[in-house]
Amino acid sequence: MTNSHPIQVAATLDQPAISLANIGKEFNLGRRRVVTALTGVTATIERGEFVALLGPSGCGKSTLLRIISGLEKPTSGTALVEGSSPEQLISDHRLGFAFQEHALLPWATVSENIAIPFRLARRPIDRARVSELVALVGLAGFESARPKQLSGGMRQRVAIARSLALAPDLLLLDEPFGALDEITRRRLNFELARIWAETGVTTVMVTHSVDEALLLADRIIVMATNPGRIETEVMVDLPRPRTAETLGSARFGELATELIRLLDHSEPSDES
Amino acid sequence: MKRPTRTLQMALGMVALCVAWELIGRLQVFGPTFPPLSTVFGVLFSPDRQRLFSSAIGATGTSAVLGLTIGGGIGILIAAMRQAITATRPGLDRFAAAIHAIPQIGIAPVLIVLLGRDNAPIAVASIAAFFPSYAAATRAFDAALTAHHDLFTVLGSRRSNRLLMLELPAAVPGLADALRLAAPGAVLGAVLGEWFGAPRGVGLLILSSSQAYDIPLLWASALLATVLAMVGFGFFTILQRAAARRFA
Repeated sequence: MTNSHPIQVAATLDQPAISLANIGKEFNLGRRRVVTALTGVTATIERGEFVALLGPSGCGKSTLLRIISGLEKPTSGTALVEGSSPEQLISDHRLGFAFQEHALLPWATVSENIAIPFRLARRPIDRARVSELVALVGLAGFESARPKQLSGGMRQRVAIARSLALAPDLLLLDEPFGALDEITRRRLNFELARIWAETGVTTVMVTHSVDEALLLADRIIVMATNPGRIETEVMVDLPRPRTAETLGSARFGELATELIRLLDHSEPSDES
Repeated sequence: MKRPTRTLQMALGMVALCVAWELIGRLQVFGPTFPPLSTVFGVLFSPDRQRLFSSAIGATGTSAVLGLTIGGGIGILIAAMRQAITATRPGLDRFAAAIHAIPQIGIAPVLIVLLGRDNAPIAVASIAAFFPSYAAATRAFDAALTAHHDLFTVLGSRRSNRLLMLELPAAVPGLADALRLAAPGAVLGAVLGEWFGAPRGVGLLILSSSQAYDIPLLWASALLATVLAMVGFGFFTILQRAAARRFA
Protein backbone atom coordinates (compact mmCIF):
# COMPACT_ATOMS: atom_id res chain seq x y z
CA MET A 1 0.00 0.00 0.00
CA THR A 2 2.89 2.41 0.78
CA ASN A 3 4.07 2.13 -2.82
CA SER A 4 1.00 4.00 -4.01
CA HIS A 5 2.55 7.27 -2.80
CA PRO A 6 4.96 8.65 -5.46
CA ILE A 7 7.48 10.15 -2.97
CA GLN A 8 7.62 6.91 -1.00
CA VAL A 9 8.09 4.94 -4.23
CA ALA A 10 11.11 7.11 -5.05
CA ALA A 11 12.50 6.64 -1.56
CA THR A 12 12.03 2.88 -1.80
CA LEU A 13 13.74 2.70 -5.18
CA ASP A 14 16.71 4.73 -3.96
CA GLN A 15 17.56 2.63 -0.98
CA PRO A 16 19.62 -0.55 -1.33
CA ALA A 17 18.02 -3.97 -0.89
CA ILE A 18 20.22 -4.68 2.12
CA SER A 19 22.14 -2.23 4.24
CA LEU A 20 24.43 -3.55 6.97
CA ALA A 21 26.01 -1.01 9.30
CA ASN A 22 28.78 -2.03 11.67
CA ILE A 23 27.21 -5.39 12.51
CA GLY A 24 28.68 -7.28 15.44
CA LYS A 25 27.53 -10.58 16.88
CA GLU A 26 28.67 -12.25 20.05
CA PHE A 27 27.55 -15.61 21.39
CA ASN A 28 27.51 -16.10 25.12
CA LEU A 29 28.83 -19.57 25.98
CA GLY A 30 28.17 -19.16 29.71
CA ARG A 31 30.66 -18.80 32.57
CA ARG A 32 31.54 -15.38 31.17
CA ARG A 33 32.90 -16.93 27.98
CA VAL A 34 31.94 -14.96 24.90
CA VAL A 35 32.72 -15.78 21.28
CA THR A 36 32.80 -12.97 18.75
CA ALA A 37 31.24 -14.36 15.56
CA LEU A 38 31.18 -11.09 13.64
CA THR A 39 32.68 -7.67 14.06
CA GLY A 40 32.35 -4.38 12.17
CA VAL A 41 30.48 -5.79 9.17
CA THR A 42 29.37 -2.96 6.89
CA ALA A 43 28.04 -3.71 3.42
CA THR A 44 25.39 -2.71 0.92
CA ILE A 45 23.61 -5.00 -1.50
CA GLU A 46 21.70 -3.48 -4.39
CA ARG A 47 18.37 -4.62 -5.79
CA GLY A 48 18.62 -7.45 -8.28
CA GLU A 49 22.22 -8.22 -7.29
CA PHE A 50 23.51 -11.75 -6.69
CA VAL A 51 26.05 -11.58 -3.90
CA ALA A 52 28.03 -14.52 -2.57
CA LEU A 53 29.40 -14.60 0.97
CA LEU A 54 32.58 -16.64 0.63
CA GLY A 55 34.85 -17.67 3.42
CA PRO A 56 36.30 -20.51 5.48
CA SER A 57 34.33 -22.30 8.21
CA GLY A 58 33.84 -20.14 11.28
CA CYS A 59 34.04 -16.78 9.47
CA GLY A 60 30.44 -15.99 10.45
CA LYS A 61 28.98 -16.04 6.93
CA SER A 62 25.97 -18.16 7.94
CA THR A 63 25.51 -15.99 11.05
CA LEU A 64 25.50 -12.91 8.82
CA LEU A 65 22.86 -14.51 6.57
CA ARG A 66 20.76 -15.36 9.64
CA ILE A 67 21.03 -11.73 10.79
CA ILE A 68 19.86 -10.54 7.37
CA SER A 69 16.95 -13.01 7.58
CA GLY A 70 15.97 -11.96 11.09
CA LEU A 71 16.68 -15.42 12.54
CA GLU A 72 19.45 -13.87 14.66
CA LYS A 73 19.69 -10.41 16.14
CA PRO A 74 23.01 -8.55 15.93
CA THR A 75 24.69 -7.67 19.21
CA SER A 76 25.64 -4.29 17.74
CA GLY A 77 24.96 -2.38 14.53
CA THR A 78 21.88 -2.38 12.33
CA ALA A 79 20.64 -4.52 9.49
CA LEU A 80 18.05 -2.99 7.18
CA VAL A 81 16.29 -4.93 4.45
CA GLU A 82 14.29 -2.89 1.96
CA GLY A 83 14.62 0.03 4.36
CA SER A 84 13.07 -1.70 7.33
CA SER A 85 13.89 -4.44 9.81
CA PRO A 86 14.24 -8.06 8.61
CA GLU A 87 11.25 -8.91 10.84
CA GLN A 88 9.12 -6.59 8.71
CA LEU A 89 10.13 -8.49 5.57
CA ILE A 90 9.19 -11.75 7.32
CA SER A 91 5.81 -10.50 8.47
CA ASP A 92 5.12 -9.25 4.91
CA HIS A 93 6.07 -12.74 3.60
CA ARG A 94 8.59 -11.22 1.20
CA LEU A 95 11.59 -13.38 2.17
CA GLY A 96 12.70 -16.64 0.54
CA PHE A 97 15.24 -18.85 2.30
CA ALA A 98 16.85 -22.14 1.28
CA PHE A 99 18.78 -23.94 4.00
CA GLN A 100 21.74 -26.28 3.83
CA GLU A 101 19.46 -29.05 5.07
CA HIS A 102 16.55 -28.91 2.64
CA ALA A 103 14.05 -28.63 5.55
CA LEU A 104 11.25 -30.25 3.54
CA LEU A 105 8.35 -31.58 5.58
CA PRO A 106 8.68 -35.38 5.26
CA TRP A 107 4.91 -35.97 5.44
CA ALA A 108 4.13 -33.56 2.60
CA THR A 109 4.43 -34.12 -1.14
CA VAL A 110 6.59 -32.02 -3.47
CA SER A 111 3.62 -29.81 -4.39
CA GLU A 112 2.50 -29.48 -0.76
CA ASN A 113 6.02 -28.51 0.31
CA ILE A 114 6.25 -25.85 -2.40
CA ALA A 115 2.81 -24.53 -1.37
CA ILE A 116 3.74 -24.11 2.32
CA PRO A 117 4.63 -20.38 1.97
CA PHE A 118 1.09 -19.73 0.66
CA ARG A 119 -0.45 -21.49 3.65
CA LEU A 120 1.79 -19.72 6.19
CA ALA A 121 0.98 -16.36 4.56
CA ARG A 122 -2.72 -17.34 4.78
CA ARG A 123 -3.15 -16.84 1.07
CA PRO A 124 -5.08 -19.16 -1.26
CA ILE A 125 -2.70 -21.68 -2.83
CA ASP A 126 -1.93 -20.64 -6.40
CA ARG A 127 -1.89 -24.09 -8.08
CA ALA A 128 -0.68 -22.66 -11.38
CA ARG A 129 2.24 -20.98 -9.61
CA VAL A 130 3.13 -24.24 -7.82
CA SER A 131 3.08 -26.14 -11.16
CA GLU A 132 5.19 -23.41 -12.73
CA LEU A 133 7.77 -23.72 -9.94
CA VAL A 134 7.81 -27.51 -10.19
CA ALA A 135 8.60 -27.11 -13.89
CA LEU A 136 11.13 -24.32 -13.20
CA VAL A 137 13.22 -26.64 -11.03
CA GLY A 138 12.79 -29.55 -13.46
CA LEU A 139 10.63 -31.78 -11.30
CA ALA A 140 7.53 -32.13 -13.50
CA GLY A 141 6.05 -35.59 -12.87
CA PHE A 142 7.25 -35.67 -9.25
CA GLU A 143 4.47 -33.48 -7.83
CA SER A 144 3.06 -36.25 -5.64
CA ALA A 145 6.39 -37.71 -4.53
CA ARG A 146 7.44 -37.45 -0.90
CA PRO A 147 10.91 -36.15 0.06
CA LYS A 148 12.27 -39.57 0.98
CA GLN A 149 11.48 -40.79 -2.53
CA LEU A 150 13.73 -38.07 -4.00
CA SER A 151 17.51 -37.80 -4.34
CA GLY A 152 19.45 -35.15 -2.40
CA GLY A 153 19.66 -32.91 -5.47
CA MET A 154 15.93 -33.18 -6.15
CA ARG A 155 15.13 -32.28 -2.53
CA GLN A 156 17.25 -29.14 -2.80
CA ARG A 157 15.44 -28.20 -6.02
CA VAL A 158 12.14 -28.49 -4.15
CA ALA A 159 13.57 -26.31 -1.37
CA ILE A 160 14.59 -23.67 -3.92
CA ALA A 161 11.16 -23.82 -5.60
CA ARG A 162 9.55 -23.37 -2.17
CA SER A 163 11.76 -20.35 -1.42
CA LEU A 164 10.52 -18.72 -4.65
CA ALA A 165 6.82 -19.55 -4.16
CA LEU A 166 5.67 -16.06 -3.13
CA ALA A 167 8.02 -14.27 -5.56
CA PRO A 168 10.09 -12.86 -2.66
CA ASP A 169 11.93 -9.55 -2.73
CA LEU A 170 14.97 -11.22 -1.22
CA LEU A 171 16.29 -14.75 -1.62
CA LEU A 172 18.77 -16.05 0.96
CA LEU A 173 20.65 -19.29 0.28
CA ASP A 174 22.69 -20.89 3.05
CA GLU A 175 25.00 -23.33 1.27
CA PRO A 176 22.01 -25.04 -0.31
CA PHE A 177 24.21 -27.42 -2.31
CA GLY A 178 26.81 -28.00 0.43
CA ALA A 179 25.75 -31.57 1.11
CA LEU A 180 25.58 -32.65 -2.54
CA ASP A 181 28.14 -34.46 -4.69
CA GLU A 182 30.27 -32.38 -7.07
CA ILE A 183 28.42 -33.38 -10.27
CA THR A 184 24.94 -32.65 -8.86
CA ARG A 185 26.21 -29.46 -7.29
CA ARG A 186 27.62 -28.16 -10.57
CA ARG A 187 24.39 -28.99 -12.41
CA LEU A 188 22.31 -27.19 -9.78
CA ASN A 189 24.67 -24.19 -9.95
CA PHE A 190 23.80 -23.77 -13.63
CA GLU A 191 20.11 -24.31 -12.90
CA LEU A 192 20.18 -21.71 -10.13
CA ALA A 193 21.91 -19.25 -12.47
CA ARG A 194 19.10 -19.78 -14.99
CA ILE A 195 16.37 -19.44 -12.32
CA TRP A 196 17.97 -16.28 -10.96
CA ALA A 197 18.18 -14.82 -14.48
CA GLU A 198 14.47 -15.57 -14.96
CA THR A 199 13.33 -14.11 -11.63
CA GLY A 200 15.88 -11.32 -11.12
CA VAL A 201 15.42 -11.59 -7.35
CA THR A 202 18.03 -10.02 -5.05
CA THR A 203 20.02 -13.01 -3.83
CA VAL A 204 22.58 -13.54 -1.09
CA MET A 205 24.23 -16.94 -1.03
CA VAL A 206 26.61 -18.38 1.53
CA THR A 207 29.19 -20.73 0.08
CA HIS A 208 32.69 -21.99 0.69
CA SER A 209 33.14 -22.98 -2.93
CA VAL A 210 35.15 -20.54 -5.08
CA ASP A 211 33.75 -22.05 -8.32
CA GLU A 212 30.17 -21.81 -7.10
CA ALA A 213 30.63 -18.18 -6.10
CA LEU A 214 32.19 -17.32 -9.48
CA LEU A 215 29.51 -19.13 -11.49
CA LEU A 216 26.64 -17.39 -9.74
CA ALA A 217 27.56 -14.06 -8.20
CA ASP A 218 27.87 -10.49 -9.46
CA ARG A 219 29.95 -9.70 -6.44
CA ILE A 220 31.76 -11.83 -3.89
CA ILE A 221 32.19 -10.68 -0.31
CA VAL A 222 35.25 -12.49 1.04
CA MET A 223 35.12 -13.09 4.78
CA ALA A 224 37.83 -13.92 7.28
CA THR A 225 37.90 -15.65 10.67
CA ASN A 226 38.92 -14.79 14.23
CA PRO A 227 36.91 -12.67 14.51
CA GLY A 228 34.46 -13.07 11.62
CA ARG A 229 34.67 -10.01 9.38
CA ILE A 230 34.64 -8.82 5.79
CA GLU A 231 38.13 -9.10 4.29
CA THR A 232 37.40 -7.61 0.89
CA GLU A 233 35.03 -7.64 -2.07
CA VAL A 234 35.61 -8.98 -5.56
CA MET A 235 33.48 -7.95 -8.53
CA VAL A 236 32.80 -10.85 -10.87
CA ASP A 237 32.99 -9.40 -14.39
CA LEU A 238 32.37 -12.70 -16.15
CA PRO A 239 29.74 -12.42 -18.90
CA ARG A 240 26.32 -14.05 -18.41
CA PRO A 241 24.94 -16.54 -19.03
CA ARG A 242 27.75 -18.46 -17.39
CA THR A 243 28.16 -21.97 -18.73
CA ALA A 244 30.57 -24.89 -18.56
CA GLU A 245 32.82 -22.93 -20.95
CA THR A 246 33.01 -20.09 -18.40
CA LEU A 247 34.80 -22.49 -16.07
CA GLY A 248 37.60 -22.86 -18.60
CA SER A 249 37.98 -19.18 -19.44
CA ALA A 250 41.15 -17.27 -18.60
CA ARG A 251 39.24 -14.62 -16.61
CA PHE A 252 37.57 -17.33 -14.50
CA GLY A 253 41.03 -18.74 -13.74
CA GLU A 254 42.39 -15.31 -12.78
CA LEU A 255 39.47 -14.57 -10.47
CA ALA A 256 39.66 -18.04 -8.90
CA THR A 257 43.39 -17.60 -8.25
CA GLU A 258 42.80 -14.20 -6.68
CA LEU A 259 40.01 -15.55 -4.46
CA ILE A 260 42.09 -18.52 -3.33
CA ARG A 261 44.93 -16.12 -2.45
CA LEU A 262 42.52 -13.92 -0.49
CA LEU A 263 41.07 -16.92 1.34
CA ASP A 264 44.58 -18.11 2.26
CA HIS A 265 45.22 -14.70 3.79
CA SER A 266 41.90 -14.75 5.59
CA GLU A 267 42.67 -17.85 7.63
CA PRO A 268 45.03 -17.65 10.58
CA SER A 269 48.22 -19.64 10.04
CA ASP A 270 48.31 -23.14 11.59
CA GLU A 271 51.90 -22.52 12.64
CA SER A 272 51.04 -19.64 14.95
CA MET B 1 17.07 -61.93 5.31
CA LYS B 2 17.40 -59.75 8.40
CA ARG B 3 13.72 -59.83 9.39
CA PRO B 4 13.23 -63.63 9.19
CA THR B 5 16.42 -64.06 11.25
CA ARG B 6 15.04 -61.78 13.95
CA THR B 7 11.67 -63.53 13.94
CA LEU B 8 13.44 -66.89 14.23
CA GLN B 9 15.55 -65.62 17.14
CA MET B 10 12.41 -64.38 18.90
CA ALA B 11 10.63 -67.70 18.33
CA LEU B 12 13.65 -69.61 19.65
CA GLY B 13 13.74 -67.34 22.71
CA MET B 14 10.05 -68.01 23.41
CA VAL B 15 10.53 -71.78 23.03
CA ALA B 16 13.56 -71.67 25.37
CA LEU B 17 11.51 -69.72 27.95
CA CYS B 18 8.62 -72.20 27.75
CA VAL B 19 10.96 -75.20 28.06
CA ALA B 20 12.77 -73.62 31.04
CA TRP B 21 9.41 -72.84 32.72
CA GLU B 22 8.18 -76.39 32.15
CA LEU B 23 11.40 -77.91 33.53
CA ILE B 24 11.51 -75.61 36.60
CA GLY B 25 7.86 -76.49 37.32
CA ARG B 26 8.25 -80.23 36.81
CA LEU B 27 11.45 -80.46 38.85
CA GLN B 28 9.81 -78.28 41.53
CA VAL B 29 12.89 -76.06 41.67
CA PHE B 30 10.90 -73.36 43.45
CA GLY B 31 8.47 -75.72 45.17
CA PRO B 32 4.77 -76.30 44.49
CA THR B 33 4.05 -72.57 44.05
CA PHE B 34 5.80 -72.61 40.64
CA PRO B 35 3.75 -75.03 38.52
CA PRO B 36 4.87 -76.30 35.10
CA LEU B 37 3.68 -74.32 32.10
CA SER B 38 1.60 -77.27 30.86
CA THR B 39 -0.44 -77.16 34.09
CA VAL B 40 -1.01 -73.39 33.70
CA PHE B 41 -2.03 -73.91 30.06
CA GLY B 42 -4.32 -76.75 31.20
CA VAL B 43 -6.20 -74.29 33.40
CA LEU B 44 -6.07 -71.50 30.83
CA PHE B 45 -7.57 -73.62 28.05
CA SER B 46 -9.92 -75.78 30.14
CA PRO B 47 -13.36 -75.54 28.44
CA ASP B 48 -15.31 -75.03 31.66
CA ARG B 49 -13.33 -71.92 32.52
CA GLN B 50 -13.55 -70.17 29.16
CA ARG B 51 -16.54 -68.07 30.16
CA LEU B 52 -14.81 -67.00 33.36
CA PHE B 53 -11.68 -65.94 31.49
CA SER B 54 -13.45 -64.23 28.61
CA SER B 55 -15.60 -62.26 31.06
CA ALA B 56 -12.45 -61.28 33.02
CA ILE B 57 -10.55 -60.30 29.88
CA GLY B 58 -13.56 -58.34 28.63
CA ALA B 59 -13.83 -56.40 31.91
CA THR B 60 -10.10 -55.70 32.30
CA GLY B 61 -9.66 -54.96 28.59
CA THR B 62 -12.54 -52.48 28.61
CA SER B 63 -11.20 -50.74 31.74
CA ALA B 64 -7.70 -50.62 30.25
CA VAL B 65 -8.91 -49.22 26.90
CA LEU B 66 -11.06 -46.60 28.66
CA GLY B 67 -8.20 -45.81 31.07
CA LEU B 68 -5.76 -45.48 28.19
CA THR B 69 -8.18 -43.24 26.31
CA ILE B 70 -8.80 -41.02 29.32
CA GLY B 71 -5.32 -41.02 30.95
CA GLY B 72 -3.34 -41.23 27.70
CA GLY B 73 -5.61 -38.67 26.04
CA ILE B 74 -5.33 -36.22 28.94
CA GLY B 75 -1.55 -36.75 28.95
CA ILE B 76 -1.34 -35.85 25.25
CA LEU B 77 -3.77 -32.92 25.60
CA ILE B 78 -1.86 -31.42 28.53
CA ALA B 79 1.42 -31.92 26.65
CA ALA B 80 -0.13 -30.08 23.67
CA MET B 81 -1.18 -27.24 25.98
CA ARG B 82 2.34 -27.16 27.44
CA GLN B 83 3.67 -26.86 23.89
CA ALA B 84 1.26 -24.11 22.88
CA ILE B 85 1.61 -21.94 26.02
CA THR B 86 5.26 -21.80 27.04
CA ALA B 87 4.52 -20.15 30.39
CA THR B 88 2.62 -23.25 31.58
CA ARG B 89 5.59 -25.62 31.11
CA PRO B 90 7.19 -25.63 34.59
CA GLY B 91 3.79 -25.81 36.33
CA LEU B 92 2.49 -28.64 34.15
CA ASP B 93 5.71 -30.63 34.51
CA ARG B 94 5.37 -30.44 38.31
CA PHE B 95 1.68 -31.34 38.11
CA ALA B 96 2.48 -34.43 36.01
CA ALA B 97 5.29 -35.46 38.33
CA ALA B 98 2.95 -35.08 41.34
CA ILE B 99 0.31 -37.31 39.69
CA HIS B 100 3.02 -39.84 38.91
CA ALA B 101 4.24 -39.78 42.52
CA ILE B 102 0.83 -40.91 43.86
CA PRO B 103 1.12 -44.61 44.74
CA GLN B 104 -1.64 -46.32 42.76
CA ILE B 105 -2.09 -48.96 45.41
CA GLY B 106 -2.69 -46.20 47.95
CA ILE B 107 -5.15 -44.20 45.87
CA ALA B 108 -7.21 -47.17 44.62
CA PRO B 109 -9.34 -47.59 47.79
CA VAL B 110 -10.01 -43.85 47.82
CA LEU B 111 -11.15 -44.03 44.19
CA ILE B 112 -13.52 -46.89 45.02
CA VAL B 113 -15.11 -44.75 47.72
CA LEU B 114 -15.29 -41.80 45.33
CA LEU B 115 -16.23 -43.45 42.03
CA GLY B 116 -17.69 -46.82 42.93
CA ARG B 117 -16.43 -50.38 42.41
CA ASP B 118 -17.14 -50.46 38.69
CA ASN B 119 -15.28 -47.27 37.83
CA ALA B 120 -12.24 -47.65 40.10
CA PRO B 121 -10.29 -49.86 37.61
CA ILE B 122 -10.82 -47.28 34.86
CA ALA B 123 -9.65 -44.49 37.17
CA VAL B 124 -6.49 -46.36 38.28
CA ALA B 125 -5.77 -47.32 34.65
CA SER B 126 -6.14 -43.64 33.67
CA ILE B 127 -3.71 -42.53 36.37
CA ALA B 128 -1.25 -45.26 35.34
CA ALA B 129 -1.49 -44.30 31.65
CA PHE B 130 -1.25 -40.54 32.24
CA PHE B 131 2.41 -40.04 33.09
CA PRO B 132 4.12 -42.21 30.43
CA SER B 133 1.80 -40.65 27.87
CA TYR B 134 2.53 -37.09 29.07
CA ALA B 135 6.30 -37.65 29.26
CA ALA B 136 6.52 -39.20 25.77
CA ALA B 137 4.14 -36.62 24.28
CA THR B 138 6.19 -33.65 25.56
CA ARG B 139 9.20 -35.20 23.83
CA ALA B 140 7.10 -35.84 20.72
CA PHE B 141 6.03 -32.19 20.46
CA ASP B 142 9.72 -31.21 20.40
CA ALA B 143 10.44 -33.58 17.51
CA ALA B 144 10.36 -30.93 14.75
CA LEU B 145 13.87 -30.08 13.56
CA THR B 146 15.50 -26.70 14.16
CA ALA B 147 15.73 -26.20 10.38
CA HIS B 148 11.94 -26.68 10.13
CA HIS B 149 11.38 -24.14 12.90
CA ASP B 150 13.73 -21.70 11.13
CA LEU B 151 11.79 -22.23 7.91
CA PHE B 152 8.48 -21.46 9.62
CA THR B 153 10.04 -18.36 11.21
CA VAL B 154 11.37 -16.90 7.95
CA LEU B 155 8.05 -17.66 6.25
CA GLY B 156 6.28 -15.57 8.87
CA SER B 157 4.29 -18.42 10.44
CA ARG B 158 1.82 -17.70 13.21
CA ARG B 159 2.06 -19.74 16.41
CA SER B 160 -1.15 -21.65 15.60
CA ASN B 161 0.14 -22.61 12.12
CA ARG B 162 3.42 -23.75 13.58
CA LEU B 163 1.57 -26.01 16.01
CA LEU B 164 -0.88 -27.42 13.46
CA MET B 165 1.33 -27.68 10.39
CA LEU B 166 4.69 -28.52 11.95
CA GLU B 167 4.70 -29.58 15.58
CA LEU B 168 1.60 -31.81 15.48
CA PRO B 169 2.49 -33.82 12.34
CA ALA B 170 6.12 -34.12 13.49
CA ALA B 171 4.81 -35.41 16.82
CA VAL B 172 2.64 -38.21 15.39
CA PRO B 173 5.26 -41.02 15.64
CA GLY B 174 6.14 -39.85 19.15
CA LEU B 175 2.46 -39.72 20.15
CA ALA B 176 1.96 -43.30 18.95
CA ASP B 177 5.04 -44.10 21.03
CA ALA B 178 3.39 -42.36 24.00
CA LEU B 179 0.35 -44.65 23.73
CA ARG B 180 2.64 -47.66 23.26
CA LEU B 181 4.38 -46.88 26.55
CA ALA B 182 1.10 -46.09 28.31
CA ALA B 183 -0.80 -49.22 27.16
CA PRO B 184 0.85 -51.82 29.45
CA GLY B 185 0.54 -49.35 32.34
CA ALA B 186 -3.19 -49.01 31.66
CA VAL B 187 -3.65 -52.82 31.76
CA LEU B 188 -1.73 -53.13 35.02
CA GLY B 189 -3.58 -50.12 36.45
CA ALA B 190 -6.91 -51.75 35.59
CA VAL B 191 -5.83 -55.04 37.23
CA LEU B 192 -4.73 -53.14 40.32
CA GLY B 193 -8.02 -51.24 40.41
CA GLU B 194 -9.89 -54.56 40.34
CA TRP B 195 -8.16 -55.79 43.49
CA PHE B 196 -10.23 -53.54 45.66
CA GLY B 197 -13.66 -54.98 45.14
CA ALA B 198 -14.38 -54.82 41.40
CA PRO B 199 -17.22 -57.22 40.44
CA ARG B 200 -15.15 -58.95 37.70
CA GLY B 201 -11.84 -58.82 35.85
CA VAL B 202 -8.39 -60.39 35.74
CA GLY B 203 -7.44 -58.54 38.94
CA LEU B 204 -10.34 -60.12 40.76
CA LEU B 205 -9.27 -63.56 39.45
CA ILE B 206 -5.74 -62.99 40.74
CA LEU B 207 -7.07 -61.93 44.12
CA SER B 208 -9.61 -64.74 44.51
CA SER B 209 -7.26 -67.48 43.30
CA SER B 210 -4.50 -66.36 45.67
CA GLN B 211 -6.95 -66.28 48.57
CA ALA B 212 -8.18 -69.77 47.61
CA TYR B 213 -4.56 -70.91 47.17
CA ASP B 214 -5.44 -72.07 43.64
CA ILE B 215 -1.86 -71.74 42.35
CA PRO B 216 -2.42 -72.84 38.70
CA LEU B 217 -5.37 -70.41 38.38
CA LEU B 218 -3.26 -67.64 39.95
CA TRP B 219 -0.52 -68.22 37.38
CA ALA B 220 -3.06 -68.45 34.54
CA SER B 221 -4.56 -65.12 35.61
CA ALA B 222 -1.14 -63.46 35.87
CA LEU B 223 -0.32 -64.83 32.41
CA LEU B 224 -3.60 -63.38 31.08
CA ALA B 225 -2.74 -59.94 32.50
CA THR B 226 0.73 -60.13 30.91
CA VAL B 227 -0.67 -61.19 27.52
CA LEU B 228 -3.22 -58.37 27.66
CA ALA B 229 -0.43 -55.82 28.37
CA MET B 230 1.68 -57.29 25.56
CA VAL B 231 -1.23 -57.14 23.10
CA GLY B 232 -1.67 -53.43 23.88
CA PHE B 233 2.06 -52.82 23.51
CA GLY B 234 2.18 -54.80 20.25
CA PHE B 235 -0.82 -53.01 18.75
CA PHE B 236 0.68 -49.57 19.37
CA THR B 237 4.10 -50.75 18.20
CA ILE B 238 2.56 -51.56 14.80
CA LEU B 239 0.79 -48.19 14.84
CA GLN B 240 4.00 -46.39 15.82
CA ARG B 241 5.94 -48.01 12.96
CA ALA B 242 3.25 -47.05 10.47
CA ALA B 243 3.29 -43.47 11.83
CA ALA B 244 7.08 -43.29 11.60
CA ARG B 245 6.94 -44.44 7.96
CA ARG B 246 4.36 -41.79 7.12
CA PHE B 247 5.52 -38.84 9.20
CA ALA B 248 9.30 -39.15 9.57
